[in-house]
Amino acid sequence: MLLNWIARREFLERLRDGRLYLAGGLVVMLLLTALAVGWAHQQGAHAEQVAAQAMDYRDWLHQDKRHPHDAAHQGMHAFKPEPPLSMVDSGINPFIGSTVWLQAHRQSEVKFNAAQDATGLQRFGNLSVGWILQVLGPLLVIVLGFNAFAGEREQGILRQTLSLGVSPLRLLAGKALALAASLAVLLVPAAIVAAIAVAAGAEHGERIDALLRLAAWGFGYAVYLGIFVFLVLGVSAMSATSRTAITVLLALWIGQAVMAPRVLSELSRTWFPSPTRLEFNQQLGAELKTVSDQVWQKNFGTTERWGRDVPLSKWGIALRLDDQASYPVYDRHYGRLWDTWEQQQTVQEWSGLVLPILAIRSFSMGMAGTDFSHHRRFTTAAELHRRNIQDLMSKDLVVHADPLGDRHFSYQATPDLWATVPPFDYHSPGVGWALWHQARSLAVLCVGLLLAAAFAAFATVRQRAL
Amino acid sequence: MLRAIGLTKQYGSHTALDRLDLDIRGGDIYCLLGANGAGKTTTINLFLNFIAPTGGSVEINGVDVTRHPVATKQDVAYIPEQVTLYGTLSGLENLRFFAGLALGHELPRSRLLELMTEVGLDHAAADKRVSAYSKGMRQKVWIAVAIAKEAKALLLDEPTSGLDPHAAAEFSDLLRRAADTGVAVLTTTHDLFHAQQTATRVGIMKRGRLVESLDGEAQIVNTDLQSLYLQHMRA
Repeated sequence: MLLNWIARREFLERLRDGRLYLAGGLVVMLLLTALAVGWAHQQGAHAEQVAAQAMDYRDWLHQDKRHPHDAAHQGMHAFKPEPPLSMVDSGINPFIGSTVWLQAHRQSEVKFNAAQDATGLQRFGNLSVGWILQVLGPLLVIVLGFNAFAGEREQGILRQTLSLGVSPLRLLAGKALALAASLAVLLVPAAIVAAIAVAAGAEHGERIDALLRLAAWGFGYAVYLGIFVFLVLGVSAMSATSRTAITVLLALWIGQAVMAPRVLSELSRTWFPSPTRLEFNQQLGAELKTVSDQVWQKNFGTTERWGRDVPLSKWGIALRLDDQASYPVYDRHYGRLWDTWEQQQTVQEWSGLVLPILAIRSFSMGMAGTDFSHHRRFTTAAELHRRNIQDLMSKDLVVHADPLGDRHFSYQATPDLWATVPPFDYHSPGVGWALWHQARSLAVLCVGLLLAAAFAAFATVRQRAL
Repeated sequence: MLRAIGLTKQYGSHTALDRLDLDIRGGDIYCLLGANGAGKTTTINLFLNFIAPTGGSVEINGVDVTRHPVATKQDVAYIPEQVTLYGTLSGLENLRFFAGLALGHELPRSRLLELMTEVGLDHAAADKRVSAYSKGMRQKVWIAVAIAKEAKALLLDEPTSGLDPHAAAEFSDLLRRAADTGVAVLTTTHDLFHAQQTATRVGIMKRGRLVESLDGEAQIVNTDLQSLYLQHMRA
């Protein structure tokens, strides 16, 4: 009851002094603009992906009669689907490309600009709904709440209020509720618009999952902004004047929104260094050669590949053995690289205890399906498809071309063989998978909320009335 | 009802209040007189636990203020020299909010308007935003909060400062009516005339110490308060 009064009064005052309309209105306009831009981009990218994937498979099926290994070299392309929630948080997608060439012999380069830039890339933001909430959301909380205690102390209202016998903790709870209600008035309508956009933008089969992801995404941001509600109220309670409160809060905001992500990105790469692209390719190439040499030596008594020592009647088998020997090597090297990037990401997620933006950024991308975990899953699925193509082509060579002996290369497979390769039909994992992979960042956010509430309670109980 | 025992407050080496003993009963109107910095407001702030004592203790209705800061405030109403209200709300909305906080339940509009009338604010004024109120009007709203609270003790810090003579006289009447119902009143003031007209007990403070006590209306009325006050200030 008492909480409602305090919250209602605070909310009413905030409405009447215009802060909610001005600051909140601006943020809502930005959110809706970003959502519209995100919607247009997601819809365009999704349509392109679907069309390109279909066209690429059509090209595969419509190959003329040819040697299967030629077909394997043509390969296929895997186009990464643009998830519906990328309209609210595009995550790392703009920086990593979306196409993987499924070619013979080699696992294609992942479309990163540089091997070491995986988590470093994440420090760059773009104007998405997620970015606005991560960066401008806390600023909105600061504008709405910096003077909640400090301003009342300066005016003398705080001592009058406390003289009535109101518990400081109830006062805190009422003010927190009012601040949360102010944010809800602005953000809930925007969230409803986002839900409609996501539901409309998602394919029929993925609509429920997309909405569940959006709900989890919204919950994450509620926790994130809740941290700032308590942080702002705590600092306001500790500060002698509103000016001090806003100065401290703006300094914290600059630190967490601008400086910390860059510093932590560099620190995480120092603690868990990843190889440069050149180093990675050199190490991978060296092990591929070693393993290949061993296979050729063991099976054909030579390390000279595709030479005179191996008759054409064994080239199909040789292809298959060579490819299959390379699979564990690729798995090991890419696995190690990706694990390193994930360790870098883990450092940033844990840092979210002190700098919540790092935890929410990870959680937001995770729920949107635009983080590295989703990218890794897609890349792994694409590689498995590549291996399937290679294995099917090699098997056909073993069965039909090798028996031809010296006329091995005269063999031409018919389109029936191309049709044995299924289309690359990749679907993003469900919300449960995403939540499991983001459990740490969500836990960090929840612990952050508890810590912020404890700080605010401590500051409010200890605050001076005068 | 209001009791200070050896109450002391020091700020570093400066002693703002030095072993003050006070015992104010229900029905008393105790006026604390003294120059600026004498320790009057410090005394009020200690009763409200806005500052912590360096020594001694403060009790309201027999309960230690330091140990039970929230509970002891249930029994008192505090009126500062400068009453501040929420400027974007009307007088009635302010009264509803603060009275609600004090009582723990919402008063009906009819009762709120009754309280407003009781302190001399008409209905038109009640619905105006407080940003348009004079100091006296803001003070009346806060007095209405105190009345609504039905406190057993009033703590007033320079309540008539800045009020016109008519408003000050009205205020004195309100205090007397409250004391008649058994409310204990502790008020600080520079206004010797107000003290002489209103108080049933007077204390004069100087440099944190209580240097003079007058007990009973007869003694107060028969004393040249101004001469006594100046005598202590010059000593």
